[in-house]
Amino acid sequence: MSYKPELTGSWWLKHRFFMLYMLREATVLPLVFLLCSLLAGIYSLASPEQFASWQAFMARPWVLALHGLALVAALYHAFTFFQLFPRVMPIRIGARLLPPALMVAVQWAAVLAVIVLFLWLFGNSQGAI
Amino acid sequence: MKTHAKLPSTAKSSRWHGLHLEPIWWSLFSAGGVCFAVFVPAVVLVFAILAPLGFITLDYSQIVSWYADIWGLLFTGAVICLPAFHAAHRIRHGLHDLQIGGGLLSVVICYGAAALLSVAALYGWWQLSG
Repeated sequence: MSYKPELTGSWWLKHRFFMLYMLREATVLPLVFLLCSLLAGIYSLASPEQFASWQAFMARPWVLALHGLALVAALYHAFTFFQLFPRVMPIRIGARLLPPALMVAVQWAAVLAVIVLFLWLFGNSQGAI
Repeated sequence: MKTHAKLPSTAKSSRWHGLHLEPIWWSLFSAGGVCFAVFVPAVVLVFAILAPLGFITLDYSQIVSWYADIWGLLFTGAVICLPAFHAAHRIRHGLHDLQIGGGLLSVVICYGAAALLSVAALYGWWQLSG
């Protein structure tokens, strides 16, 4: 018999920490769907009719659901990714280390700023916002 | 090499180690991760949730004129190409974690798909801008 531990494909189900790790890896799955949707959107810009049918596709309930999942996944990814930055690249000002919590907060502020920018750029028409 | 002086000559194995592209994959993964975290939430919210639900009405001619400009190229790079390589990297290593595939085939399929998606998106921009 061998003492070499065998790794099976289900090792990550055995601990909450491993599951969270795999969940983070899985955040890219709805992202891939979003990227394909956006690619279709780019090609639909060829004519107003194609753009309208792309918008109809985007409004389908299952597409909306997957994109809702993509938003949650993007925010979860951001949550994990922003914690890495102060560890990978600690910023020193003089002798003092910039507090990691502040660096995380600045990154969330950037997310918010981009959302506000997009709403300002695209939310100008007859919509509710 | 001082540190390897005592190793027998066979230690320099003849195995092909690839093209040492890992730094490139990791840089693309990292840059894509930043874009995924900072730009993608706004894009999903506006184009994939608020607009389809009717809270925002997208103006076709305005979007075309913006997209055909340099902004479309920046959008394509930051929201499609870089996140695509980020996703490819995670899928490649996620498959390895699940003990599926691995090796050169995973590399070719994952990054190849990201490259195809990127080229398709960039070609779409080029067509509109040209």
